[in-house]
Amino acid sequence: MSDLLKSQKREKRTGKVPAEGNHGVRGKETTGRTKDSISTVSYLDELAHHDDNARMVITTENTYQMGPYKRIPVPAVTDILKDVLTSYLQEEKYEVEWSQKMTKTICEVIRARVKDLMIPRYKIVVLVHIGQLTGQSMQVSSRCLWDASNDTFASYSFKNRYLFGLATVYAVYFE
Amino acid sequence: MEEYNAGGEGSFNSEEADVIVKECIESVVGADDYSQSQVNKWTASIVERCLTQLVKQGKPYKYIVTCAVMQKTGAGLHTANSCYWDTAMDGSSTVRWENRTMYCVVSVFAVAVA
Repeated sequence: MSDLLKSQKREKRTGKVPAEGNHGVRGKETTGRTKDSISTVSYLDELAHHDDNARMVITTENTYQMGPYKRIPVPAVTDILKDVLTSYLQEEKYEVEWSQKMTKTICEVIRARVKDLMIPRYKIVVLVHIGQLTGQSMQVSSRCLWDASNDTFASYSFKNRYLFGLATVYAVYFE
Repeated sequence: MEEYNAGGEGSFNSEEADVIVKECIESVVGADDYSQSQVNKWTASIVERCLTQLVKQGKPYKYIVTCAVMQKTGAGLHTANSCYWDTAMDGSSTVRWENRTMYCVVSVFAVAVA
């Protein structure tokens, strides 16, 4: 497995800033003895949209708002996912370098389009998997601890002859 | 009553989360080989166990835990995530684990409350 360094540059920055992570699992032939189990930690890539002035903590007044005025429209988000995945992955073959870039690109595109829906006070987490189809079996599941009345998720999976793509969006309300 | 939050404690501690997640994975699938009939149960229990351990820390976060288990056949897999949140307080951590017959990728996203 490739070893990735974990970059520990956590500057205290307030304000919403996009952050990205990319984790690739390279398929290798397992011949003979392999280690029993290996655990590796992710590499975090922070996009530098920040301005260095924003060290001050922003304090806001009470809004007395009890809940979100506008909720996330799950069918609209599912349509976005379907649209993006189909347009980027239709008729494409699986290649290692291309897939690495494509997962990141698709992630960014989905996040930008969900932000364009202009639903205020929601934090967004987008997760994209692209994998090769070789007859292997795979299971993806998730659990969330959140406020079920305000928070929600949407997901869509796409498949063609050579690869599959899975995109999930979680939207969490921030009080 | 005001909640005083010291600056240093505000952010999500991803190393601690890594340790918790790794322990959960090993306790559920540590010694097993990939099995189609059991994988559903495994992913569900890895994810639930991680969630309960994270909640036990008692921090004011909402959590999203995702687990992907894949059989080792030489196929490739890529995963990416992109998040729109407050980078000072929110954070994520991903742990990749493998044994002889399968890969397991667990991601934890922690979003601060209020």
